[in-house]
Amino acid sequence: MSLKAFHLIFVTATTLFSLFFGLWSLNQYRNIDPSALNLTFVFLAFVMLIALPIYGYYFLKKLKDVSFL
Amino acid sequence: MEVPYTVENRPDTGLYNAKVGIWLFLASEVMLFGALFSSYILLRVGALEGHWPTELLNVPIGTVNTMVLILSSVTVVMAWASLKLNDFKKFKMYQLATVICACMFVLIKSYEYRDKLTHHDVVLADGMRVDGHLVEETDEYIILSHPVSYPAVKGIGYRPTAIKEAEHGDDHHHAEDRKIMLADIVKRTTWGPWANTYFAIYFTLTGLHALHVIAGALVIAYYWGPGSKMWKTNPEQFTNRIEVSGLFWHFVDLVWIFLFPILYLL
Amino acid sequence: MESTEAKELHDTHHDADGHGADHHHDPGFWRKYIFSTDHKIIGIQYGITSLLFMLFGFFLIATMRWSMAYPGQPMPVVGSLLHIIMGDMTSAVFDPETKELIGYAISNDLYNAFGAMHGTIMVFLAVVPLAFAAFGNYVVPLQIGAVDMAFPRLNMASYHLFLLGGLIMLASFFIPGGPAQAGWTSYSPLATSIQTDGQLYWLIAMVIIITSSLLGAVNFIATIIQLRAPGMTWMRMPFFCWAQFVTAFLLLLAFPPLEVGALLQLMDKVAGTSFYLPTGLAISTMKDISGGGSPLLYQHLFWFLGHPEVYVLILPAMGVVSEIIANNTRKPLWGYKSLVYSTLVLGFLSFIVWAHHMYLTGMGTKISTFFQTTTMIISIPSVIILTCLFISLWGGSIRFNTPMLFALAFLPMFGIGGLTGLPLGFNYSDILLHDTYYVIGHFHYVVAPGTIFGLIAGIYFWYPKMTGRYMNEFWGKVHFWGSFIFMNLTFQPMFAQGMAGMLRRMADGGVGYSIANNPDAVGGLADQFVKLNANITLAAYALGLAQIPFIINLFYSISKGKKVESDNPWHSTTLEWQTPTPPPHGNFTTPPTVTGGPYEYSVPGSSQDYIPQNQKA
Repeated sequence: MSLKAFHLIFVTATTLFSLFFGLWSLNQYRNIDPSALNLTFVFLAFVMLIALPIYGYYFLKKLKDVSFL
Repeated sequence: MEVPYTVENRPDTGLYNAKVGIWLFLASEVMLFGALFSSYILLRVGALEGHWPTELLNVPIGTVNTMVLILSSVTVVMAWASLKLNDFKKFKMYQLATVICACMFVLIKSYEYRDKLTHHDVVLADGMRVDGHLVEETDEYIILSHPVSYPAVKGIGYRPTAIKEAEHGDDHHHAEDRKIMLADIVKRTTWGPWANTYFAIYFTLTGLHALHVIAGALVIAYYWGPGSKMWKTNPEQFTNRIEVSGLFWHFVDLVWIFLFPILYLL
Repeated sequence: MESTEAKELHDTHHDADGHGADHHHDPGFWRKYIFSTDHKIIGIQYGITSLLFMLFGFFLIATMRWSMAYPGQPMPVVGSLLHIIMGDMTSAVFDPETKELIGYAISNDLYNAFGAMHGTIMVFLAVVPLAFAAFGNYVVPLQIGAVDMAFPRLNMASYHLFLLGGLIMLASFFIPGGPAQAGWTSYSPLATSIQTDGQLYWLIAMVIIITSSLLGAVNFIATIIQLRAPGMTWMRMPFFCWAQFVTAFLLLLAFPPLEVGALLQLMDKVAGTSFYLPTGLAISTMKDISGGGSPLLYQHLFWFLGHPEVYVLILPAMGVVSEIIANNTRKPLWGYKSLVYSTLVLGFLSFIVWAHHMYLTGMGTKISTFFQTTTMIISIPSVIILTCLFISLWGGSIRFNTPMLFALAFLPMFGIGGLTGLPLGFNYSDILLHDTYYVIGHFHYVVAPGTIFGLIAGIYFWYPKMTGRYMNEFWGKVHFWGSFIFMNLTFQPMFAQGMAGMLRRMADGGVGYSIANNPDAVGGLADQFVKLNANITLAAYALGLAQIPFIINLFYSISKGKKVESDNPWHSTTLEWQTPTPPPHGNFTTPPTVTGGPYEYSVPGSSQDYIPQNQKA
């Protein structure tokens, strides 16, 4: 498996992590501590959740000639 | 005598030797961290009710560190892609960013370590337990900032629930520093790995991970600096080496993606 | 595709010539024998080192056996020598009447230390390096037709790490308090609570040895995947390579959890953590611990390695034995594919049987049931392998040379070892037999007359390739019969002792629990079982003496043995015999292209009774 393939796995894992992080901070904000910091976390996670798949698509396009193996 | 397939791919497997080697090594690393994660689960599940501390680590700092590592993964893969596209200058730039990210991660991590290792936990002669950051230390007394105090229970070390109760009790904010005479202290420790099983596994996991970060950063820095001469003599093998170091770096980052939630958030 | 591969290999051969010219400038002793990257030299390095460790491990058990057979009596000569080295760990013995010093016996602490080190050294520093690293390094690249291992410098690093770990382990004999005393398993909290530094040395040495094994395993798998000669398909690989391949995977995936186990114990020891120390632990040397740990965690981590390790010990020996059997029966191995698939299944299953070592830890009957089931399932592939090897003998015109004698003895001996393991795999019978001499007998039947016989067979078999001379046949047979008889006299009585209830790890060999010393006690050990200790000890010493012809033969034959008539003295089919003798750096004069299976013996219509793998028309 080449670095290209592993990077896609990494981007996928990071996207899932962002989803988890967003849910966690949303829960913190709503139920435990409604601070600005937790709201920032929610926002950050949301941005990452959108940005990472877009980056992944751009990455695939850029390296379309490199093998997955 | 020369070993075949060090540079070019073996036709039937489609791989060069080092790629097979690094993936096998990463398989053993998966078992290494897998065993540590399993130990974490076993210790946490086996902990007495209310004895597993949570929310002791600084989430904003951890988040920053996570971002730094994710960014370094992007730069390391871009560095490799630049070599594939024959752009050595861009490779130099991206790989420098990777090394800087790695150094930042280690610095932030060591700041966190220092923060915990200067956090004192003392048992007083009157049966109370106080923890807080060490501000000043003399032969006669210590001063702790943001102290939290709660009744100590004999035979039981750290009790996060007791701290929570104390924090949500009457004196919620302990803005003032507290001066404690050494003569009053029965037992005094810091929040190192010896404090409790949570800190033990926290320091072991993150310490081992940090060692991996340092090792990976050294390799990447070598191929950014003196090792990059190889680009002129054998560009294909050089690109392979960057790929292999990138695979290791991705693994190290992926471990952190799992470490951060289980140690900081859950 | 094959033609391009052949061309590439051909090109690299020209490079080999270029390097060969370099080698005429003598690389010097250090580069040639100590810092060599040649897989054959590294294999021999591993072989010599591990044989020396094996001798040392035998010496440890020989002194322990004296203590068991004659508890409290001074050891002649060795006792005084041990007193000089180990100091207070030996106990002085005085004449009861004259109060004069008459010699030194082994103290209980020293017995524990030697027991721990015997196990550690024999498993991690003798048998595994000999079986996996020595034979694997020497034979595997030759058998698959490669020029060297995939990562020659990593190979060298792996040997040097192994040596470093071994030396640290040896150094622990000379520190105050002596080496680790908590058994080769080093269970916590016992291992953590002993106040000497021996355990620290043990842990550091183990971490280094494990790292060395990991590097070796990566190298072997990469070599077998990447460097097979053109035409050497997976099902044309000799069974020995398959055995090494699976073994390497076991090492690769099973060793890291032990490394974690060792690291966490190291943290317990030096950083004051409580990974394995439960809350409320009451040991006088362990005050002020934070608690909250789990002793079971260590056992899980240890046996997650510990069980695959058993197959690491046995699979290479099975590989060696199948090569020798095919060669000396002059017929193909019966059921080559069954052998390969059984080995793969064995490798997989060996990861899910580990807790059968832990039936008595109180982990729960449901878990026991699971592991009991998997344990019974794993005996199926083992039996398939042994059966294939037995049937391979059928109708062959067997040559009874020394390697074949050892290989033949392997089959029933490993059979005994395996079958006596079944009662230990069921948790209801294990409750009776656990921690008795029955376990010792079972394990040693697998490893001593099993694995070690297989490996000795391999030494006799490949010696002509390494040196160009045969080992002496007559003394080889003396060695075989002496080893065979005394091996059985040593380990067979242990089954009887174990079933009578004699426990292991007792420095006095169970005298303290004998009926003779406790006439009123219920369930004491009957006298005849205690007396067997002396018989076993004498048999063990005779077994040691039986190795002397082997040691002399090994060195004498290097320069004085009978010269081989050709590069292929055993008329074998596999590729390692198609090289010059001994093979030069780079191995083959012309890169081999494989055209036939690994065991083309007695092919009907062929002019000779073997067709080498690269010579089938």
